[in-house]
Amino acid sequence: MQNFLQLSFTALQIGAVYILFSLGLTLIFGVLRIVNFAHGQFFTLSALCASVAVPWLAALGLPVWAAYVAACVAGVALTSLFGAVVYELGFKRVERDMIGSFILSAGLVLMIEGALLKLFGGGVRPVPPLFEGNVDVLGVSVASQRLVLCAVAVGLTVALTRALGTTRFGKALRAVSIDHEAAMLQGIPYRRIAFLGFMAATAVGAVAGALIAPVAAVTPTLGDSYLVKGFIAVVIGGMGSVPGAILGSLFIAFIESFVGFHFDPSVANLAIFVLVMVFLLVRPKGLMGHD
Amino acid sequence: MPSTTSVVDQLLVAQHLSKRFGGLLAVADMSMEVRKREIVGLIGSNGAGKSTTFNLLSGFLPPSGGRLYIDGQDMTGRTPEAISRRGLVRTFQHGSLMRSMTVEENILIGAIGGMPKAGRKARDARVREMAELVGLQKALRETAGNLPHGMQRLLSIAIAFAPRPRLLCLDEPLTGLNQAEVAIVLAMFGHIRDAYGSSILLVEHNMKAVMQTCDRIYVLHHGKLLATGTPAEIRENQQVLSAYLGNTNAH
Amino acid sequence: MTDRFIRNGLPGLLAVAAASLLVTSGYAGNLIIWVAVAAALASSLRFVLLIGELNFSVAAFFGLGAYTSGVTTTIWELPFWLSLLASGGVALLVSMVFGFVTLRVKGPYFLLIGFAFTEALRILYTRSEWLGGNSGMVGIFPPEALSDRFPTFVVLTVGAMILVLALIERSHLGRIFTAIRDNDNVVRSVGIPVHLTKVLCFCIASFMTGVAGALQAFSNNVISPLDFSFLLSTFALAYLKVGGEGHPGGPILGAVILVLLASVAQGFGGAEHIFYGAAIVISVLFLPSGLMGLAARLCRRGARPGVARAAGDL
Repeated sequence: MQNFLQLSFTALQIGAVYILFSLGLTLIFGVLRIVNFAHGQFFTLSALCASVAVPWLAALGLPVWAAYVAACVAGVALTSLFGAVVYELGFKRVERDMIGSFILSAGLVLMIEGALLKLFGGGVRPVPPLFEGNVDVLGVSVASQRLVLCAVAVGLTVALTRALGTTRFGKALRAVSIDHEAAMLQGIPYRRIAFLGFMAATAVGAVAGALIAPVAAVTPTLGDSYLVKGFIAVVIGGMGSVPGAILGSLFIAFIESFVGFHFDPSVANLAIFVLVMVFLLVRPKGLMGHD
Repeated sequence: MPSTTSVVDQLLVAQHLSKRFGGLLAVADMSMEVRKREIVGLIGSNGAGKSTTFNLLSGFLPPSGGRLYIDGQDMTGRTPEAISRRGLVRTFQHGSLMRSMTVEENILIGAIGGMPKAGRKARDARVREMAELVGLQKALRETAGNLPHGMQRLLSIAIAFAPRPRLLCLDEPLTGLNQAEVAIVLAMFGHIRDAYGSSILLVEHNMKAVMQTCDRIYVLHHGKLLATGTPAEIRENQQVLSAYLGNTNAH
Repeated sequence: MTDRFIRNGLPGLLAVAAASLLVTSGYAGNLIIWVAVAAALASSLRFVLLIGELNFSVAAFFGLGAYTSGVTTTIWELPFWLSLLASGGVALLVSMVFGFVTLRVKGPYFLLIGFAFTEALRILYTRSEWLGGNSGMVGIFPPEALSDRFPTFVVLTVGAMILVLALIERSHLGRIFTAIRDNDNVVRSVGIPVHLTKVLCFCIASFMTGVAGALQAFSNNVISPLDFSFLLSTFALAYLKVGGEGHPGGPILGAVILVLLASVAQGFGGAEHIFYGAAIVISVLFLPSGLMGLAARLCRRGARPGVARAAGDL
């Protein structure tokens, strides 16, 4: 039972980051009908910024938590800005063209990852932890650091889901997602919503990256494994569906946690891939896909 | 309503077909038949279930209930490919052609479908024959997407008839055609029936054309069959008049 | 245009093969092989694009071919010809099952499944001790008789396969592929089994990819799981996009240009990825029909009507 709880907590922690990552992916697909393979790069960029900024700011005398918050904000802002540029120059021209946008994003992956590798080198840049020690939750020992991060991630996810459901922007996003032409006919400014949607999705991905920085090995290739899992989560959940992305992410996280413990991480990965392939045959549109 | 004699004698027999989409019953208790060498019309207002019926008959939608017989064989729930090989080919309301390919290539696809084992020569001959039937023989090298609307409609009929189906199902073939074009197409229907011996099932909004050309008509209303009979009978039918023909436009 | 490619293809191939005879091994020889294998990958990708699907599993089948050669040569010690055929054969068999199962989904879903499959296989290789695990396999050598002339052999094999693909593209089967991409419902409605046809296209392309993988294994003599990640599929995409997907010569042109430029870039310290990436981005944004498309447009502008019409098919 101990083990079950422990593993479940691990799954939740992993899942929280996957959720934030895949939320961005599914939003972009839903609103723009493009598959953004480069989403992982935004994630990585933000994590790298955090990993560079925190030690630097801490050396300037800021307490670690302040340095961390500042670094997060900087990372997210920088990444969002970068996302805006990428959107205006690139994705805007290939939206609603799945193959074209995918190819473009694949090219971006190569470019950005290559550039990051050159700039930052391949080595790991650790971020000093914010909170030391462990906390006892329901009899399970959880690193405080991870708990806080998980809580922030969960909180953010809940806030986002509510925002999508209740705010005007959220509703506009969903309208465009379901039928962009009908949405335009109803007066929704498609251009603006598309741009803001892309930005929001990128920002969410950036937040995920900043959140993971203290507990992961931050290298320029960090985004790659999240990319694969993120896409799988989105595919399982149904491309364009937010609840689907959440379900898919949790599904993957649980497999990773449980199978990874009982066997080993690469078997877990294998299991995930096989399950996805089987899943796609039974329910090609995903659990809750539109389109 | 004339009763079905035997399933084997008819080209198409639909028995109590129904289709449910979640909570919506789009088509209910649809029974109809198409005999050899006849032109049958399927009319009804928008939302009456004509497209759904068409998809059910051609295998693009599996029925929720009922049975479908084509040329005597039970084809309920079979794939469109299987139904096509059994002798039923349908066109689509929008874009029933390959826009990026030439007219010749388009019809060729139909020919290949109907003559899977034949050689190049035989298929090319069939392509030329179909092109002449619809009057596109001079446009063979044109890209289909560049053709004017009327010619695209003709092309879609050529593609569908290239496998020489015994039952040709056409989904609103006359939409967007002017009067002259309509006349040509109606004459072609007659030719297909008389010279080739195939039957045609038409979904159409053009009432005048339907009355003029069909041997029998089925009227659909809210997913159910409202009436069936010859054009003359339908014209007199009170239910049809009040439900549907009352707002007819002579188009 | 495909007709012209086929007509000029055979003599062209023989000319290139003859030229490559002047080179044995060494750097130039490796470069030639690199280009040829790249062209094979890109051509395979292009072939599946005929049915409208972006085949991101191309790296997976490439790896299958390479590893099959590794096993048949170093473990089972089968003759070279058998290894080549087995590589294509294994790729073909796996593609039959994989294709049948996954081609039921389209577009982004098919793409992602290919991606997942590539990664799954890569993990499988690293976990398989008999395949050398993380370190991979070594000692995959072509027979003595061929080793001097291996570049020529690779050029001939790849060239022949590309020509066969072009012939199929031009045939009635190729027309069906294109029709499926354009409007698969119409194709179904005339009785053509669309799903099986898509699988057939996929299998043909995968066989070629498997053989290409074997050629790579024999020329490099060493293979490891990292060689066959999704990045390889992205490179294939780059060759195709830069060269142009509308013409069978496009993948070849793209491969030549990018590989040559990459080998120059290697001299400047491994900016390979950035370079391929930039090439893809520029092509997608500014040269949607690739360099072949650009050449066709230039031809058309300054040309006589006859040439213009032929080039206009591009």
